[in-house]
Amino acid sequence: MNQTDLIEPAASAVLEEKELHESYFQLVWQRFKKSKPAIIGGLMLLMLVILAFFSDFFSPTDPVKLDMPASFTPPQRVHFVDSEGKFHLRPFTYLQVVELDPTTYAPQWTEDQSQRYHLRFFVKSWEYKLLGIIPSRWHLYGVEEGGTVYLLGTDKFGRDLWGRACRAGRISLTLSLFATFISVAVGSVLGVVSGYYGGGIDNVLQRFVEFVQSFPQLPLWMALAAIIPRTWDSFRVFVIMAIIFALLGWTVLAREVRGKVMAFRETDFILAAKEMGASDARIIFRHLYPNSLSHIIVVLTLTIPDIILAEAFLSFLGIGIQAPLTSWGLLMHDAQNLQTLGSHPWIMSPVIFIIIAVLGFNFLGDGLRDAADPYAIV
Amino acid sequence: MEASDNIILEVKDLKQYFPIHTGFLQRAVGYVRAVDGVSFFIRENEVLGLVGESGCGKTTTGRAILRLYDPTAGEIWYRKGNGERVEISHISQKEMKPLRREMRMIFQDPFSSLNPRLTVKDIIGEPLAIHGVARGKEMEDRVAELMRAVGLDPAYMRRYPHEFSGGQRQRIGLARTLSLSPRLIIADEPVSALDVSIQAQVLNLLQELQERLGLTLLFIAHDLSVVEHVSNRIAVMYVGKIVEMAETEEVLRHPLHPYTEALISAVPPADPDIRLHRIVLEGEVASPVHPPTGCIFHPRCRYAENVCGEEEPQLVEAEPDHYVSCHFAAELSLLGIGG
Repeated sequence: MNQTDLIEPAASAVLEEKELHESYFQLVWQRFKKSKPAIIGGLMLLMLVILAFFSDFFSPTDPVKLDMPASFTPPQRVHFVDSEGKFHLRPFTYLQVVELDPTTYAPQWTEDQSQRYHLRFFVKSWEYKLLGIIPSRWHLYGVEEGGTVYLLGTDKFGRDLWGRACRAGRISLTLSLFATFISVAVGSVLGVVSGYYGGGIDNVLQRFVEFVQSFPQLPLWMALAAIIPRTWDSFRVFVIMAIIFALLGWTVLAREVRGKVMAFRETDFILAAKEMGASDARIIFRHLYPNSLSHIIVVLTLTIPDIILAEAFLSFLGIGIQAPLTSWGLLMHDAQNLQTLGSHPWIMSPVIFIIIAVLGFNFLGDGLRDAADPYAIV
Repeated sequence: MEASDNIILEVKDLKQYFPIHTGFLQRAVGYVRAVDGVSFFIRENEVLGLVGESGCGKTTTGRAILRLYDPTAGEIWYRKGNGERVEISHISQKEMKPLRREMRMIFQDPFSSLNPRLTVKDIIGEPLAIHGVARGKEMEDRVAELMRAVGLDPAYMRRYPHEFSGGQRQRIGLARTLSLSPRLIIADEPVSALDVSIQAQVLNLLQELQERLGLTLLFIAHDLSVVEHVSNRIAVMYVGKIVEMAETEEVLRHPLHPYTEALISAVPPADPDIRLHRIVLEGEVASPVHPPTGCIFHPRCRYAENVCGEEEPQLVEAEPDHYVSCHFAAELSLLGIGG
């Protein structure tokens, strides 16, 4: 409907029948669907979230229990064909046996092909609480009694890296989401205030943003992380870590929202709201905020990967998340030692999870950028 | 000027300057004299057309009256529904709020003046919500009533502005303006962003509503042919000042200011055979930052004499109800429409 100004009775009757107005989220979804990368990104993240939340279900062995004899077991292969060349419909693993090299004393892992251990799906094994509430013993897969299956190998303490990486996703994802929400909340409020009021307030806030931005991020993070007392319980550490990451992340958003608001401030609909006698709070929350929302959502999806990377980096250095909590970065903590890394390269495997998460959020952000503003003023 | 009882709005020597900031310290290096001593009045139930070319300060005048800006100087007298006269040029926004129910504005651009994120119901109902007049079902009924009044189907209430055409959007804006039953409406070029065919529809609607609801209108436009169609009286503005004000017929037939004469000569006649005596003004529009001395129009005036560059003419009632600011208003015989 472009230039049809007259409401013709016939046309309006037809329109009334099916009332084709769409809500904001329907419109966003319609446009979002059309972007293939966004859908792929969304699926990647969905997969990670499911793996993280149901990590106990996906891990065949208890990811917390120590099992020193299995220390640094390399990733096990899942076979269909046995040593005699016979094909088996059910996949199986061989037992991994360790021998010390007589000259270097380095452990040598070999497959003991005398005994097959078949993989089973939906098996009962170690007990856990589903989502922390429902006790359950069910697992996606496991092997017959006596065998092991370590798809990504094990860490120093003989714990299944796959199971631990799934579980580490809980902290890595929630921490980055939490930190991003704090930084978005702070950044968008300060950005809106700065852009809307302008003048002196704007000047002070923007100089403050520049001050915060001028900090070298890494040393500051390290310093802040270093002053967290070791005696604190893990939840408090989690919250403080999130705040530390948020502290330096809000500035970019504050700048961008300010620019957006400054552009809106001069538009007629804000003037119209003033003309009606609307309060500042009403103008900010009913007019400026909803119109900046699409922008905020996009920045949000692009801030999360930054924080995932930052968290991984600090935890890798050993000053981020502390055991007993696990995060993707912390899992790779052992990889710091070049000798350990050289002989056990599989302990770097959580990197794959980080890459998937970062790519997923970037793809999603790209798609959202196009979709989030269906009402853009023409 | 006359102080009769039926004057709803009287503006006296209104000035609105905007500082020009430059440099790191944002020092004011000068002022744009957007509105520089404007005086006029509007009688109840009357349509006053305010015309002038782009950038002459028409819109700023309208916005300053509604206190969307803080006027630099001058007085704005408004007579409330209960007959009380109030001076509003320097009152606080809080004191202004109750008056905003009576004094409303129609915006020029039907695209940018509606929040794209709100439904039509929320847009039209927003003034009702702000002033606590109606909510819930009552508000919905009032919105439906308003939509019918401006020729929109209330079934479209839950739609968003992007689903409407320009003309329909302007009707939505009009419904929003009417929602609090205002007495005075400042219509800021309400049709200039619309197609010519739709302009007429919206103008007719505006005129009909004005007559039916007994509204008083300050109709701002740059197009004399639009203003002459709706106005009872016309005020002509040039670079921040009013140069002439009188009854519509009087201004068109018998202009007293050379600028008005030039403006009238630019209106295309309906009959293409009529030969135009078109007056083409020399030079550029005066800058509101550095206005010329004396009469603001004298550098472009073909009747200008020495006195025009030295002394600023005042807006005086040269003939009954015909105000003009020209030293030679009595001597010149200027051409009106069809002349």
